[in-house]
Formats: sequence, C-alpha cells, structure tokens
Amino acid sequence: MIGTLARKSLRARLGRNIFIGLAIMLGVSFVAGSFVLADSMKATFNDLFTELSENTDLVVRAELAGVDEMDGAVRDPIDRSLVDEVSAIDGVDLAEGSLGRFAQMLDPEGEPIGTGGAPQLGISWSGEGPLNGVTIKEGRAPDGPDEVAIDKATADRVGFDVGDEMTIVLDSGQRDFTIVGFVGLGDTDGFAGATTSLFDSEYAAEILGAGDQVDTIEIALTEGADIDTVQAAVADVLPPRVEVVTGEQVAEETSDQINQIVDLIGTGLLIFAFVTAFVSAFIINNIFGITIGQRLRELALLRSIGANSSQVRRMIVIEAVVVSLTATIVGILGGLVVARGIIAIFNQAGAGFPDVSLTMQVRTIVVALIVGLGVTLASVLVPARRAAKIPPVAAMRPELGFTALSASRRLVGGAVVTGIGIAMFLVGLFVQPGGGAGLAFFAGGGALLTFLGVTSLSSTVAHPVSRAIGAPIEKLFGQPGKFARDNASRSPRRTARTASALMIGVALISAGAVFASSLRDTFGRVLDRAVTADYIVTDPSFQGLPPAVAENLGAVPELEAVSPFRSIFGTIAGDQVGVTAVDPASFPDLINLDVTDGGYDGLVDGDGVMVFRDAADDRSLDVGDEVVVTYQNGIESALVVSGIFDDNSLGGSWYISIDEFEAVSDQTPRDQFVLARLADGVDPEQGRVAVEAALAEYPQAEVQDNAEFRAEQEGQINQLLVIITTLLSMAILISFLGIAITLALSVFERTREIGLLRAVGMTKRQLRRAVRWEAVIVAVFGVVVGAVVGLSMGAALAVAVPNSVIDGVTMPWANLVFVLVLAVIAAVVAALYPAYKASNMNVLDAISNE
Amino acid sequence: MAGTNGRVRLDAMSEMMAPPPPTVAAAAGVIDARKTYGVGDATVNALDGVDVRFEPGKFTAIMGPSGSGKSTLLHCLAGLDSLSSGAVFIGETYLADLSDKELTELRRSQVGFVFQSFNLIPTLTARENIVLPLALGGQEGDAVWIDRVIDTVGLRDRLSHRPSELSGGQQQRVAVARALATRPTIIFADEPTGNLDSNSGTEILQFMRDAVDEFGQTIVMVTHDPYAASYADRAVFLADGNVVGDLASPTRDTIMDQMAALGH
Repeated sequence: MIGTLARKSLRARLGRNIFIGLAIMLGVSFVAGSFVLADSMKATFNDLFTELSENTDLVVRAELAGVDEMDGAVRDPIDRSLVDEVSAIDGVDLAEGSLGRFAQMLDPEGEPIGTGGAPQLGISWSGEGPLNGVTIKEGRAPDGPDEVAIDKATADRVGFDVGDEMTIVLDSGQRDFTIVGFVGLGDTDGFAGATTSLFDSEYAAEILGAGDQVDTIEIALTEGADIDTVQAAVADVLPPRVEVVTGEQVAEETSDQINQIVDLIGTGLLIFAFVTAFVSAFIINNIFGITIGQRLRELALLRSIGANSSQVRRMIVIEAVVVSLTATIVGILGGLVVARGIIAIFNQAGAGFPDVSLTMQVRTIVVALIVGLGVTLASVLVPARRAAKIPPVAAMRPELGFTALSASRRLVGGAVVTGIGIAMFLVGLFVQPGGGAGLAFFAGGGALLTFLGVTSLSSTVAHPVSRAIGAPIEKLFGQPGKFARDNASRSPRRTARTASALMIGVALISAGAVFASSLRDTFGRVLDRAVTADYIVTDPSFQGLPPAVAENLGAVPELEAVSPFRSIFGTIAGDQVGVTAVDPASFPDLINLDVTDGGYDGLVDGDGVMVFRDAADDRSLDVGDEVVVTYQNGIESALVVSGIFDDNSLGGSWYISIDEFEAVSDQTPRDQFVLARLADGVDPEQGRVAVEAALAEYPQAEVQDNAEFRAEQEGQINQLLVIITTLLSMAILISFLGIAITLALSVFERTREIGLLRAVGMTKRQLRRAVRWEAVIVAVFGVVVGAVVGLSMGAALAVAVPNSVIDGVTMPWANLVFVLVLAVIAAVVAALYPAYKASNMNVLDAISNE
Repeated sequence: MAGTNGRVRLDAMSEMMAPPPPTVAAAAGVIDARKTYGVGDATVNALDGVDVRFEPGKFTAIMGPSGSGKSTLLHCLAGLDSLSSGAVFIGETYLADLSDKELTELRRSQVGFVFQSFNLIPTLTARENIVLPLALGGQEGDAVWIDRVIDTVGLRDRLSHRPSELSGGQQQRVAVARALATRPTIIFADEPTGNLDSNSGTEILQFMRDAVDEFGQTIVMVTHDPYAASYADRAVFLADGNVVGDLASPTRDTIMDQMAALGH
C-alpha cells in the first residue's frame, strides 16, 4: 500500500522529481566520468606502449641516480659505438640506436607550429621495423639528408601534403626538408601530441647534432635465446653508469609515468565531481524539506486514517530512492558522455590523444551508486523523520504541523560545526599532519564542515542580510521590490539553504581568486626585487632553448650581460636538490640574490657553488666548506661554497657555473631561459631590434621585457582561475537550478497570495519583477556569504604557502565584482520560469483555492 | 498588420454591438451575460442571460443558493473572469475591450475587493495592506482620505501589526479599509462575513453600510445570509444562472419570503 502511494505521489510531482533526478544525475555523471576518463586513458596508453614495445626484449640506457623521469630528469646519451658492440653479442638478433632531439617545425608562413606543451621531437628512423612501432600512413620513409617524414596528426592539422617543403628549426639553426611521408605510432596518427619529424637514421645524428651518441639502444633477441644470459652478456660490455634492462620494465615505467599523470588529472576532476555532488545534496535536501511542508495536510490525513509514522517515513524514502536510482543509472551512462567530452576538449587543445575506447569498471559503478544513493538518503532522512512526526490533527489544523529546530539550537550547532571545520582546515594547512594525504583530509574535510556549519549559521543572518541586500531594490522598484525583499527574508532557512549551494561554488572560486591574485602580486614583487635583467628569453612550449640562443645574444654589442639558466638534478647526502647552472660573470648583473656571505668568485673560478641561506643552514655549510653533489647521471662532484644568499624567490637554491655543468653532464644542453641586460646608454628600442636580429634563426625563442613577461605570467595565473571556474560550472549550474526550483515551489506555496495581489491590481509585469528580484536577493546573499568564507579560506591558504611562493595576501576585488554581476544575471535567468508560472497563474483558481 | 486590423475591426464591432449607454446611470453592470463551462452533455450554464445594473451610491446584495451563478457573476463583474457572451461595464468602460494589463489597472483604481478569507498579504503590515493598491500604482493616495478611512474602521492602533497578529474581524476591517482607500467606482464583497463570528460580522456590515451612506460608495456583496443582505438597499436573487427576483430595501423577513417563494 505504501508502495502504491509512493508511486502515485511520484507521478503527481513529476516536475519536481525530474529536477531532483537532474541534480543527482549531474553529480553522478561527473563522478563516473572522472573514473571512466582515468581508467580509459590508462588502458589505452598502456595498451599502446605494450604493443609498441612487444618486440623489444632489452634496452640499453644511461642510469639515473636519485631521481626518475617523473621529476623531469633526462637521461644522458650513450656512445653510438655500443650499438655495434651489442649487435655482436650472441643471441642479439637486432640492435638499433634511437635518438630524439628538439626539432621545431615551421608552418608555410615561417611561424613555429605549437603543441600546447607537448614535445617537439626530431627522431632518427630507419623505416618500419619490429623495434620502433612507427607505421607509415602515407608516402614513404625518408631517404637522404634532405628528407623528412612527419606525424600525420600535425600534417592534417596544419595542412601539409606529401611532397611539400618544410623548414625545421634544429639546435644548429634552420634547415629545409622535403616531406616524403606521414607516420604515426601503431594505429594512431600521432605521437601522443608531440609534433614529430623523422629523419633518415644514416644522417639523423648529423641533422640533430647528436655527434656519435644515441639515447638508448633497443635489442631484439634471436629466437630461442635466453634473455637473462643475453642481458648479462650485454651488461658486461657496458661502460660505467650505463645499464641494460628488459623491454618489459621500460614499458612498465612508461605506463607508470602515464598513470601518475592520468591519476593526477582524474583526482583533480574527482574533487570537483564530489563538490558537485555535495552541492546537489543541499538542493535536494531543500526541495524535500519544502515539498514535505507543502504535503503536510496530505501526510497528516494519512496519519489520521491510520498510517503509522514509520509508514509515512517509508513512503517518503521509497519515493526518494526510486528517483535517485533512476537518476544514478542515467548518470552512470552520462559518465561516458562526460569522459568523451573531456577527451574532446583535451584534443581540441592539441593533446592528440589516441582513439580512446571507454571502459566502465565495476568500481566506477559501485562508487556512482554510493554517491547517487548516498546524496539522496543524506538529503531525505531528516525531512522524512520530520514528516513522520506530523500529528494526525494537522490534517485539520495545519499550523500544528511541525516545529523547526529552534533558532538558538541552530546557532549553537552551526557555530560548533563551523568551529571544528575551521580548526581542521587550519591544522591541515599549517600543521599538515601526515604530509599530502593529511593536508587533503584535514583541509578538505575542514572546508566541508565549514560549509555545513556556515549554512546553519547563515540562516540566522539570512533575515537581516537579505533585507539589507533588498533595500536598494525596494528603493528602485517600489512595491514589487518590496515584495521581493519581504519574500526573500520571510523564510530565512529556505533562503539560507538555497543560497548555500551557490555559496559553496562562490567560496571555492573566491579562494582560488585570492590565491591567484596573491600569487600574481608576489610574482610582480619578485620580478621587481630580484630581476635586474631587461630581457627574458623563453621557449613558450617549455622545451628549453638551444645554447646557441645565449651564445648569439652574447655576441650582441648592445647587451652588457647575458646568462643562460640551465638545470640539473642531484642529490646531497641522499636529499634530492635542483641545481641551476649560470654564467658566473654575467648573472650577478641579471638577478639580485641578496648575497650576505662570500661572493661569486668561486663560481667564476670553476668548482664554486652559491647556496641559499636555509639550504646552507640545514647542512651547516659556511663559505669555503666543501659539499659533495651526486648529479642525476651518477657523477659526483665536490663543490666549494662560494657565497650564501638570502633570496631564493626565483626558485633556485643551488647555483653552479655553466663550465661545471658541462664538465659533469653529457646531455644536449637546454636552457630553461636566458636573461640579458642592455649596456648603459643603449636605447631600448634599438636594443630590442638587435636582440630580435640575433635570434632570427630561432623563431621559437620568445623575447620579452619585464612588463611583457609579467603580463604573460599573469595571463597564465588567470588561466588557472578559468580552469577552476570551469570545473565548478556544474556545481554552479546546479545551484542556480536550485534557486529556480525553490522559487517555483515558493510561488506554488503562495498561490492565494498571488491571486489576491493580482485581484487588487498587481500587473503580471510587476509580479514577474518581484519574483525576479527575489531570485537576485537570494543569489547575492549566496555570493556574499560565499565570498566571506572563500576569501578567508583563500587568505589562509596564501599565508600557509611558503613565502618564496606567496609573500602577501591580495584580495581579488575585481574578480568578486565580476562574480557578483554574473550571479545577478544568472539569477534573473533562473527566475524566468518561476516568474512565468507566477504571472500566468489563474487568478480565479488562486483566490477560490480553499 | 493583419492582427492590428483585426483588432481595429473587433473594437468597431464591439462598439456597434454594444448597447447604447445606460439611460439610468450605473456604476457597473452586465448585459445579457452568459457564461458556460464544459462542452457537450457536460455543458453548464453558470450565467444564462443575466441583465443587471448597479446604481451608484447604493449597497446591493446578490443572493442565491450554491451553484446559482452568483460568484461567477461577481468574478465577471470584477474582471477576474470573462463572459462567454454579453457585456460587462464598470463606470464607462466595457471590460471586453481591455488587455490583461488594462484590466489589472482598472481593478487597481476602480474596483475594491473584500473576500471571504485570505484578504491580506501576510508579509505586509495593516497599513501597508491598506495602501497596497495605491503602492502598486506607484501612488501615495489622498492622505486625508486614508486617515479618515482608518479612523472609520477603527484601526489606528493596529496599523503596524501584521495579519497574523490581528483577529479575524480586524483582518476583515483592514480589507474593507483597503477596498475604500482608492475611492473605487465600485466595491465587490464575496461573503465578507462568512468566516466571522456574529459580532465581528455585524461590525463589518455596519462599516459597509456607513461607507455607502457617508461616502456615497457603491458596494455589491455576494451572500447567502439573509441577515447580511438586510443591510443592503437592494437584493438581487439568482437561480440557475438567471435573475429570479429583485427586492428594494430588503429586510430579513422579505428576504426569507422571497427565498421561500423560490423554493428554499
């Protein structure tokens, strides 16, 4: 019987149930989509790399000491002569040296072809073979020093044809090639987003400037050879710091790297997915609360004709579960759409993902069900319990319905929860018990509790605050404005709860905005304080610059100081450190390290090192002390502390000379950036022309003065904010849908009032206006509370971050005004439907409603 | 353009078809008013050719059993509902010609309402409720007049109270004051005493009587209570959508007689 009632009631309140379903569905599909995306990308990449390496039995490569590729370390190359030595070993069927270096393609207009961050590779290729996995899509393999094959994805994107001429920027300068073929990895059209040029292996070393070196050697065994025996035999011929590992191990390492990146993306998405689900829970709870209030008479009638309170409760829970299950199932399927959509967005940005086939794991379905049902049950249990307590007499006398939690108890409860939340949040940020996981648990859990507590607290301030927000609206719009103001403040709990969903989104955006604006201003101050150079030269695609850039600039007479900045990893007594190599003669003129002990002399002489004060103190180092660094390639070097500096805000804590770097590293050098300073008396414009002329061969190098560099970095910080906002857009969409539905329910509740107003002379337009401004007041209330919470959280976050990253809090007022304006517009849109419903209500029905 | 032409033609037609201006001055009235609900066998004629005019400065009661059409007549007179055929006028305005917006503005300025219950907006104070139609029109109203109305209904010490803080009788007095505040052409009251105890009911009836006698207000009241109707200058009887009786200066006795004659 209770089932039948629940079913009828579900059908009778179809619109409301569709909305609840929609809110659940959006949250669930975001959660499921995050998992599907991560699982599918992992599976696809792992399959791809397993397939590519299936014929590679052994790999010879340089060792990495104390760091791995995930840190960004690049292995040293090895001698090409090893290829022949290895080939001669018994059991080796085929040994091929592989070589990959920087190669920037230019489009027909001479502009660099961008990748959005993926590498620009030039590789050595001896045609299709069992070891490299490259397949020809069109044309043929390059044959001779002037031919190149390129990846089909780039060819399609830029519009090259086989037979076209193309200019490629190599470390040695620009060079023209004829495109003879399009290729891809395995079945894919590209190289996972990298623009890739393939050169005839006979000439590749010369073209790529690799001398007599290769990166790795891939080995295929003769049939029946024992892999362990051959591996041991190969190991015997290898020089120190070069290793031989199985192809399987390399494939696993590659997969692990990809999985780590994918997990990072997946976890990031998941956080926002859970925020979305959390916001849905608020809205759904609010809707259940309101509709149960409206059904009071019906429920009391059921009680008075003999339904016991557990039957009433069960009826409401059954209704909720049916809606929720349906929505969750649709949401799980929606997850596939979300995953597809995100892959499409990434590909649009040039990520060049292979054709991903989506996988739905059991774990995904289980988590989605827990989220979908959990959100619903958490939202409905309290309203259902309240409904069950309705006394039967309320059927005749609705005012006896139920009493809400008293304001003072809500105040105390809210304050306690908020207090615990804030405490947890601060402990997470400043104490960080248990490292990263602890930070996430305490800060995330604290934020969650704070949101819950603030929701409770905000209902006690909703009345005065919404009246204050409404005051100017009443001034401007007269009687309709007054109704908007009165109605927004007449049910503070409802207003607070509706606004809370928006509050969460706004709080997270505000926190992000405080963080971003503080970061931006700190960065500006660092630039002012620490950088005395006039020009910053970078590679926008983060591949690093060839050393020729710094060399060419060094020869420009208008410049008095030029230094490359080149990094290498190392360990000191087991601790990983980042070491920056610079030109010791020039760099004191380019950056201000605030040297407080010693000086730069040791660097100029060779084996000196400049150390940041904290790093020196940690190891009790003084000027003149010796410190042993083991570089990433395993070479040890004893350095002498030349100077100790106090300002590491540019990032480096250890500086060595370029000479030291070149003495210990065999790598093709890549400069992260190059700084340059104009000679005294040189006109900046004239200097700029000279600098541009010196870099004509390297169009990928971007020259910026301080102001341009700052503007670009600020742009990137703003980009971060855009990404956060985009990821929160679903939560924000749900919160505005929540405003719309709550308002529609309120309008329904006020049917008689609206009828009376229409009868005594309120026009439809005035009525719509009243509903619209009520929505605006609720939204502005949400923005105000959200901004207060978010700005505080963001400020705490900015303070918690080390001073080298953020050294002061800047409030993002401009962003907030923008958010406020958008919220007002969104509220007006959200009010369209409820306003339409209110104004089209039949006056007669409304006033004769008994 | 077609629409505009159609509209012009309609206007012209309604002018031609409209009866000549009433020879006896009337504050409001209906001419051959018909209102049907439903289709086919289920058709109900709520109004079946009603002709009735209400003289200015008079208090008229409309009486009749449930389903007689008296509420429908009131709703159509007040512009809350539209006729299937026939004409309604208030003052010199035929309602059929009006858009929803014009109709709303007409209700705001020329019509006052007193309903049986739920007469007041719960969020507004008594004073705000009284001046609501004026405020909706963005007007201040005549302060002296409003003061006089407030004193007449005796609400001066209750002005800042909200409806939930007023008794049923007080709420109904606020409703009467609101109806009077704009000095409308006509006030429609729908069972205004139906939800009140007899003392409060008598009070409200007396206020309406006073409004007619002292201010020259026109009032039309729907009721089924002979005692309430005895306060009126005239009682119009409806049955099955037709006017079946019309009493001048009704008393309880004459009303009872009339009702008995009609079979109740």
